[in-house]
Amino acid sequence: MAKKETKIITKNWGKINPQNIDEYISAGGYQSLFKFVKEMNPETALGEIKISGLCGRGGAGFPTGLKMESVQKESAAADGEKYFICNLDESEPGTYKDRAIVDSDPHMLLEGIILASLIVGAKKAFIYINGNYRKQIEILEKAVEQARKKVFIGQEILHSKYGLDIEIFSGAGAYICGEETALINSIEGKRGEPRTRPPFPTQCGLFGKPTAVNNAETIANIPWIIENGGAAYAKIGSKKSAGTKLFIVNGAVKNPCVVEVPLGIKLNDLIEKYAGGIQRGKEFWFAQVGGSSGRLALEKDLDMKLEYDREAKIPLGSGAILVVDKTVDIHELLLSWTSFFRRESCGKCVPCREGTFRLWEIAKRLQDGEVSERDVAAIQDILWTLNNTTFCPLGKFAATAFSDAVANFQKEIYKLSR
Amino acid sequence: MKIKINNKNYKAEEGELLYAVCKRNKIKIPTLCGTKEHHEGLCRICVVEQGGRLVTSCNTKVCDGMEIVTESEKISKARRINLELLWADHAGKCVTCKKNRRCELQNLAEDQKIENFHFIPRKEEMTGGEELDLLKDNRSRVVVDEGNSAILRTTELCVECRRCINICPTKEFSFNNRAGDVVVGAPYEKPLDCIFCGQCAKNCPTGAITDKNDLQKVIAELDDLKKMTVALVDPAIFETIIFEQPEINSKNKLIGTLEAIGFEKVFDLGFGIELALQKMADKIKSSGKNNLILSHCPSFNLYIEKYYPQFKNNILDVENPDELMAEFIKNQYASEQKINPENIVVVSISSCVAKKIKKSDNLDYVITVRELGRIIRQKNIKFKDIKNSDFNKDLLPKNESSKGIIKTGGAAEILAKKTKAKYIVADGVDQIKNIFNDLSKGRVETKIIECMICEGGCVNGGGQTRKLK
Repeated sequence: MAKKETKIITKNWGKINPQNIDEYISAGGYQSLFKFVKEMNPETALGEIKISGLCGRGGAGFPTGLKMESVQKESAAADGEKYFICNLDESEPGTYKDRAIVDSDPHMLLEGIILASLIVGAKKAFIYINGNYRKQIEILEKAVEQARKKVFIGQEILHSKYGLDIEIFSGAGAYICGEETALINSIEGKRGEPRTRPPFPTQCGLFGKPTAVNNAETIANIPWIIENGGAAYAKIGSKKSAGTKLFIVNGAVKNPCVVEVPLGIKLNDLIEKYAGGIQRGKEFWFAQVGGSSGRLALEKDLDMKLEYDREAKIPLGSGAILVVDKTVDIHELLLSWTSFFRRESCGKCVPCREGTFRLWEIAKRLQDGEVSERDVAAIQDILWTLNNTTFCPLGKFAATAFSDAVANFQKEIYKLSR
Repeated sequence: MKIKINNKNYKAEEGELLYAVCKRNKIKIPTLCGTKEHHEGLCRICVVEQGGRLVTSCNTKVCDGMEIVTESEKISKARRINLELLWADHAGKCVTCKKNRRCELQNLAEDQKIENFHFIPRKEEMTGGEELDLLKDNRSRVVVDEGNSAILRTTELCVECRRCINICPTKEFSFNNRAGDVVVGAPYEKPLDCIFCGQCAKNCPTGAITDKNDLQKVIAELDDLKKMTVALVDPAIFETIIFEQPEINSKNKLIGTLEAIGFEKVFDLGFGIELALQKMADKIKSSGKNNLILSHCPSFNLYIEKYYPQFKNNILDVENPDELMAEFIKNQYASEQKINPENIVVVSISSCVAKKIKKSDNLDYVITVRELGRIIRQKNIKFKDIKNSDFNKDLLPKNESSKGIIKTGGAAEILAKKTKAKYIVADGVDQIKNIFNDLSKGRVETKIIECMICEGGCVNGGGQTRKLK
C-alpha cells in the first residue's frame, strides 16, 4: 500500500500551527509561488494544471484546467479585468472538508488562491465563505494579513509584475450560494439565486467580467501541482480521475473521519480501512455518497470506485459519505432531506419552490408510513418535475436521494392504506 | 439560420429567443412568467423538447440546426405538474376574484385541461396535530397591502412570476424570504409607497395586484335614481376596452354601453383637456421662469415629489383635466342646468391609476378600464340590444386635436404652438432620470418639459388592460 502515503492536502495537518505562516513556510510552503514567479508564466502553469487532470472537487467534477483556460483566454475584454473566486460556501449537510482545510492549513489554500488568480490573470480574488464559519473567517483573515506582510499578496507579489488583492466575503449560509452564478449574485449584492446560462461565468461573471469560481479543495491542490508538476499529479489516483480527495465518512462507522485518499478507491475499502468498518452489532443498509444531494449506494454497489466519472452510476459529489445501518427509520431520513431542500430552495422557479414544499409536506405526513395512492402518485410527479424541469441543479439534487429511496425501499416506506 | 420546429423548417435570426421564433410563426407555447422585455424562465411552463431534454423556450437562444418539438407527452406532463403545483399554492376562490375570467392562470389551467389538484392535502389526510400545522404553514405567508387608495396586493393569489418586479419603473418590489415562504413585496414588507403608475396591476397575470376600488359603491350610485351619475371618458381607452369586452368594438358602442349600465350623461374628457391646456398655456405665458414642468401626468408629479423634490416648484400648478372638468360640471354646468351639485356623481373612466391617489372632492370616483370591464360583466347586459350612441352634446371639445395629449409629447407640442416656446419630452422613467440629472447640473435650459411615466403615454397607461391569449 504505497499509495496510502500519498498526501497532498493533508500533508501538514497536525504538524504545523495553522495560524503561523512561518511554520507553513518552513514546511515547504509558498515554494510554488516562488517557483511560479521566478520560473514560470501563466501559460506554462496552466499547462501543468491541464496535464494534471485535476477536476473540480465541489461535486460536478469539471476539469479545472479547462475552466481556467477559458478565463485566461478572455483577456481580450476592454479593460482586461477578471476575478477569481474561491468557493468556500460549504453547506451540503455532512460535508466539512473545506472547513477542515481552513482549520488545519489555511496557508495552503491561500497559496492556491494566489497561484490560481495569477494563472487566470485576475487582479482581485474573493473567498466566498459560508457565514456560519465564524472561526474559519477569523483564521483566514489572519492568514491573509500574514501573507500580505510577507508580500505574497499585494501590488507587487514578491516584487514581481504580478499583483493581487484578496477579499474575504462572508455569505449568509445559503445552500444555493454554492452554485457559482448564485454566489456571484450574492457578491454583487443581489439576491442569491442562480442566473440563466449561457453566458457562463467564465465569460460574463462577477460584475460582468470573466470569472473563475473554484472549490476550496480544488484550489488547495494547485500548489502541489505547480511544485511537483502536472505529470506527477496525474500518476496519483485512478485512470479516470487523477489526484487525491478528501472523504468524509459519517454515520454507522466505528471511526467517523476526514481522510485524504487517492481517487479510485472502492467504497468498501474506504469504509473498512479508513473508517474502521461498521459499528459493532449494526448491519450495513446503504450509504449516501455526496451529502444530502447524493445518491444511495446499496450493498451491491459497495465495490464501486469512488472517482469523478461522467458515466458513473453514483456520482461522487462532494465526497461526504453517510453510512446508514438497518436500525435507521427511513422516514426520518426522508423528512430530513426534504426539510433541508424545502428550506434551501431559493424560490425562483416553480418546480423547485413548490415541489420541494409539497414533497416535505408529504414526507411529514408519511412519518407513520401510512399513505394514500394519491400521495404515491404525487411523489412520483414531483420527483419527475424536479428532475426534469428545474432552473438549476438544486432541484435535481432535491430529488436524487428521495427517488433512490422510493425506488429501492418501497416496502419500508409505504404501508399503503386506501 | 435554419431551425427545425416540429419537423418543419423555419428561419431564425442569430441571438433570437426560441419563444420569439415560435410566436412569429404562430406556434402556440403557453407561458406565464414572461413579459415583453423580460424572460427569466421561472414558471417552467413554456418548456419544449430539444434532443429529449426539456428546455425553456423563453430564455433559450436559437442556434443553427436546432431541432425542437413543442408538443409531446413529456412536455404536457411537465406543464401539467408545474401548473398543478402553482395551483396548489394559489388560494383563490375564482368566483370572488377580481380577475375572474381575465386570469392567465385560470386560462392556462383550462388550456392544459387540469382536472384535479393532486398536491393539496385533503382534510382527512391531516390527522395529527403536527399535520394540522401544515395548513397553518400554508397560510402564514400571506401579505395583504391595502395601505393606499390605488393598488391592492394580496400575496395569497400571487404565483411569484416576478412580472411586477421586472416591470416596475422604480423597482419597488422584490422577493422576500426564501423557498416556499417567498412573497413578493416591498423591502421589509412595508406598505407600498410608490408613484402608483399601475403597470404592476396591468401586467399581473392573476388577482394578486389589482385596482383598489369602490366598485360596489359606483354600482350603487349608478342604480340610485336620485343621483345623476356622469361619466368622463378618457380618449385613451377607446382602443383597449375591446380587450375587456370584445363586443365593444367602437367608441359609439362604448358610449351606448355606458348609458346602458346606468350613466345618465357620458361626457368627452376632451372638454376637460382643453380647459387644462388653456390653463397651462396661460401660466406658461405669464411665468418668467424657464424649465416649467407640465403636470398632467399624476404619476410623474408623485415621482418628482419623491425623487427630485428640488424641482417641485417648477411644476405648473394645474389640476388634471378630470379634476377641472368635474369642477366645471359641479359648478357652472350644474347651475346652468339647475341641478343640485350634491346629486351629481362624477366618475372618470381613465387609463391612469395614479389619478386615484391625486383625486380631490369634485371628482367622486376614478375607475380604470379593467374596473369598467368588471362592472360591465357584473351588469350582465345583452350587447345585442345596445345601440350606438354619442357623447353628450352639452360639453364637447372645440378641437379634436387636443386629444393628442394622451400620447407622450402631445401636450408639449400643442402648448409650444400656443406659446411659441421651446420644449423637451421624456418618455418613461429612464429618460426622465436622464433629463433631471441634466437639469440638476444645469446642462438643460428650456421652457417646457413634458414627462410621462408610462412609456408611450396614457395609451399605455397602468389603468389599461391587456390582450390575453
